[in-house]
Amino acid sequence: MESETQRIAVGLRQGDLVVLEALVEQYQYRLVRYFVSLLGRRDGVDDLVQETWLRVLERGRSYDGQSRFEPWLFRVARNIALDAMRKRPMFSLDSNEGDGISPSPASDEPSPYTLAARTQDAERLAHSLETLEPACREALVLRFQEDLSLQEISVIVGAPVSTVASRIYRGLATLRPQFEGETS
Amino acid sequence: MNIDRHESFQRMIDESMAGALSAEKQQPLREHLATCATCQEYLSASNRVIAGLSGFSFAVNPTLNARVLAAIRLQVEERRGIRARHTGTIRKHNVPFRNWAAFAGGLTLSFVGSELVYQMAGRVADPMHFVSAHLRAGVLVFWLLPSLCAALCLLAAPGQKRGLA
Repeated sequence: MESETQRIAVGLRQGDLVVLEALVEQYQYRLVRYFVSLLGRRDGVDDLVQETWLRVLERGRSYDGQSRFEPWLFRVARNIALDAMRKRPMFSLDSNEGDGISPSPASDEPSPYTLAARTQDAERLAHSLETLEPACREALVLRFQEDLSLQEISVIVGAPVSTVASRIYRGLATLRPQFEGETS
Repeated sequence: MNIDRHESFQRMIDESMAGALSAEKQQPLREHLATCATCQEYLSASNRVIAGLSGFSFAVNPTLNARVLAAIRLQVEERRGIRARHTGTIRKHNVPFRNWAAFAGGLTLSFVGSELVYQMAGRVADPMHFVSAHLRAGVLVFWLLPSLCAALCLLAAPGQKRGLA
């Protein structure tokens, strides 16, 4: 029986609208969440999401169905975000780690994390997440929300596994003090 | 228990969270956690961070899906249109090599055959009491021209169905 990834690969190769529509339904929210984690802002994300799907349609042939679809999709999305950063002066390309992602400029508006916090713990994390290095934030989201392995994240971000792991450790170290000294 | 030892286990907790802890280190970590309140608290705080990360719910524009799907459909239709136009262009102008080869072969046979018949017509005209020039003109009109037309058809015929060949 044909596996799910093979079915997606065949659908993308043929530009099958039914497959694409199902993928959009399934991954839309996750793409939005990923872009917010990457950019630290909500505006402009819808355009990036749309552009991502158009690129999925355009480059669908390069997905071979041998591995999970999510890492391939997030890699496409990341490239779209990097392209947007290059085109738009509101995003800087300077970065300490040279990965092309840097914090978004400060704004008077509440951060997307403050607006999106639905639990008390999330509210406590919101500010720290806003100021966290985007590369660390991205690694945390991909690991703990998208449930991707270190190897998969490494492929998405184009960095060694050890670098991804240290970003996760750094991210956890930044956020953990919010909850230290308390019993859960 | 010294600080270095805690740090070592806390590092293992981080590795475990990241999915980078080797199997052989998991048992010592479990044993240590069973007896160390400091590292238990570290683990608990880490778990709350991860749980906290799941406590965000970003609003998705309700029209986004429809907008994306409309853009995808438009793109698919454009691609189909371009492909159809491209295929038409190939049929009009881009003649495959095998058609050229068949055309060249047909043309050669036409000329060689016509030349032979032309010569033969000159020889048989007298014994048959025909005017040699008329017979040769007949050969040109009824042999060479149809042959040339057949050869040209090889070029124009699409793909596999080259009926006149």
